[in-house]
Amino acid sequence: MAEVEETLKRIQTHKGVIGTIVVNAEGIPIRTTLDNSTTVQYAGLLHQLTMKARSTVRDIDPQNDLTFLRIRSKKHEIMVAPDKEYMLIVIQNPSE
Amino acid sequence: MGDRSGLQAASQLFWKQGCTMMFKDVADFCICVSMTRRGLRLGMAKVTQVDFPPKEMVSYSKETQTPTDTQTHTQARPEEEEDEEELAEAKPAEDSQEKKADQEEKQEEAPPKELTEEEKMHLLHSDEFLTFFDRGSRIVERALSERVDVCFDYSGRDLEDKEGEMQAGAKMSLNRTFSDERWSKNRVVTCLDWSPQYPELLVASYNNNEDVPHEPDGVALVWNMKYKKTTPEYTFHCQHPVYCVNVVGTQNAHNLISISTDGKMCSWSLDMLSQPQDCLELVFKQSKAVAVTSMAFPLGDVNNFVVGSEDGSVYTACRHGSKAGISDVFEGHHGPVTGLSCHSAGGPVDFSHLFISASFDWTVKLWTTKSTRPLYSFEDSCDYVYDVMWSPTHPALFACVDGSGRLDLWNLNNDTEVPSASVVVDGSTALNRVRWSHSGREIATGDSDGQVLVYDVGEPICVPKPDEWSRLVHTLMEINENRDEGDELAAQRLVA
Repeated sequence: MAEVEETLKRIQTHKGVIGTIVVNAEGIPIRTTLDNSTTVQYAGLLHQLTMKARSTVRDIDPQNDLTFLRIRSKKHEIMVAPDKEYMLIVIQNPSE
Repeated sequence: MGDRSGLQAASQLFWKQGCTMMFKDVADFCICVSMTRRGLRLGMAKVTQVDFPPKEMVSYSKETQTPTDTQTHTQARPEEEEDEEELAEAKPAEDSQEKKADQEEKQEEAPPKELTEEEKMHLLHSDEFLTFFDRGSRIVERALSERVDVCFDYSGRDLEDKEGEMQAGAKMSLNRTFSDERWSKNRVVTCLDWSPQYPELLVASYNNNEDVPHEPDGVALVWNMKYKKTTPEYTFHCQHPVYCVNVVGTQNAHNLISISTDGKMCSWSLDMLSQPQDCLELVFKQSKAVAVTSMAFPLGDVNNFVVGSEDGSVYTACRHGSKAGISDVFEGHHGPVTGLSCHSAGGPVDFSHLFISASFDWTVKLWTTKSTRPLYSFEDSCDYVYDVMWSPTHPALFACVDGSGRLDLWNLNNDTEVPSASVVVDGSTALNRVRWSHSGREIATGDSDGQVLVYDVGEPICVPKPDEWSRLVHTLMEINENRDEGDELAAQRLVA
C-alpha cells in the first residue's frame, strides 16, 4: 500500500503534472489530488470518453481492447491508463 | 540457499521476458546461467466478449423517462432541460436553473454516496487494484517522461539534433545514468547484463546497503534504455547479497551453474533448486581446491570454461568427460583475478582461444589457451582492475574498468601500450563492472555507489572494419614474437 502512495506521489510531483485521479469502473473517483468539483468533472467526462473509445476499438475488432488514451490539447495533455476495473488519469502541462 | 522463491520468481519473470538470468543469493557464489526462452505455446482460444454498460444512475431521472438503455449525466441533462422547458414554461429561468442545479447535485451526490472512505480504502488495498495500478502507473510514468511533441514546430528542434550529431563523433559519450534513491543508493553494483531478447533491457544486481540493515540485502533492478523514465522497470529482492547476475543465451540448454570459493562447481536445474543436478570439485593437482573469484565460458561452449582464482592463477576446466575438472593452470597475475572474458566476436578468423583477465595487480593480461604464459600484459592502470570484457562485435576491442573510476577501451590493432579511448566517471567512485551491449555499440558500467552508467561508443571505435580480423592475426604474431624475444633476453640475462 505504501508503494502505491509512493508511486502516486512520484507521479504527482513529476514535471508538469497538474493532477492525478484514480477512478473505478463506475466513474467514481477513489483517489485524487485535485479539488472535488474538478475531480468529479474530469472523472465523469473521461470515464464516458474512455468507455466510448473502448467500445469504438472493440466494435472495429472484437478481439482488440483499449490500452491507453492520450488527449493532447493546446494547454494540457490528459493521459488515461484504463483497465477492466479502474482507470488512472493524469493531467500534465507538457510545456513546463 | 537463501530466498529461493525470490530467485524463482525472478527467473520466471525473466523466462517470460525471454532473458536468462542467474542469481547468486549466497555469499561467495559465482553463478552463471545458460538457459533460454521457453517456446511460446500458441493455440486457438475462444474469445468471449463481455460488455457491461455503465451503471444507470436512476436517482435523478424521476422526472424524465428516457427510453435509452445507457443513461449518462450529460445525456440526461439536455433531455431534462427540454422536458423542463416543455412542462414549466411559466417558471422563471432561475427556477429551472435551480432545479437543474439540484438535479445535478443529486446526481453528483448519488455516486459519492455509494462509496464511503472505508470502501475506498478497501478498494485501494484489493489485489485487482494493485495489479491495475502496477501496470497503469508504469505506462503513465513512461508517457510522462517522453517529451515528444508531435505538434511542435520542427525548426525549433534542429538545435537539439545538431548536438546529438556532435556527440556521435566523440569517442565515448554518456548516454544514461540509472540510479534509484531507494534501491540502488549506497549499494555496490555487483553485476550487470543485457537481455538478449530485448536489447533495451539491462539488469543490474546490487550488494547490501550497510546504512539500512532492515532492507533486503540483495537487490536486482531491471532498467529500460528505451524510455526516458528514471525509475526501474522491475525490482527484485532477496535476503542475501546478489553477487552475480548474468544473461547467457544458448538455444537449448537450461543450466544454472554456480561456483563457490570452496572450489565446488554445481549445476542446477531451474525446476528443482533444492539440490544441484551434479557437482564437481575443482581441485588443482589433486590437492589444492581452487578459490574461484570469476568464471567465463567461451562462445558457444558449455563444457569447457575458464576460472580465475584468489591466488592470481587462471585455470581452464571441463564440466563433463573423462577429464572433468581442472585442465591447465595459467600463472601470471600477482593478485586475485577479478574478471575474465573469452573472445566472442565471430568473424572470418576464429580467435576463440583468446581470453583476457583482470586482476588486483593493476594489469589486464591477454592469454591464449594454447600457452600457459600470458601473451601480453596491459599495464596502463594505477588501481585495481575490476572487470574486463571483449567487444561482442569487434575482434580486437575490449573494455576494462578500474578502481579509480576509469573506463578504458583498448584496440589491439591500434595500440597495445595505451588505450584507444578512455573516460573517467565523475565522483570518486570505483567502477566495479563493465558490460558491452549485444550490439557492441554501448557499454554499461556499474560503480561502487549504486549507479549504472551507459555510454555510447563512437562508431569509428566500436564498429569493426572488414580487415580487423586479418589485422589481428598480424598483431598476434607480433605479440608472440615480442614475447619470445623478451623471454630469450630474460633467459640470456639470467645466464650472464
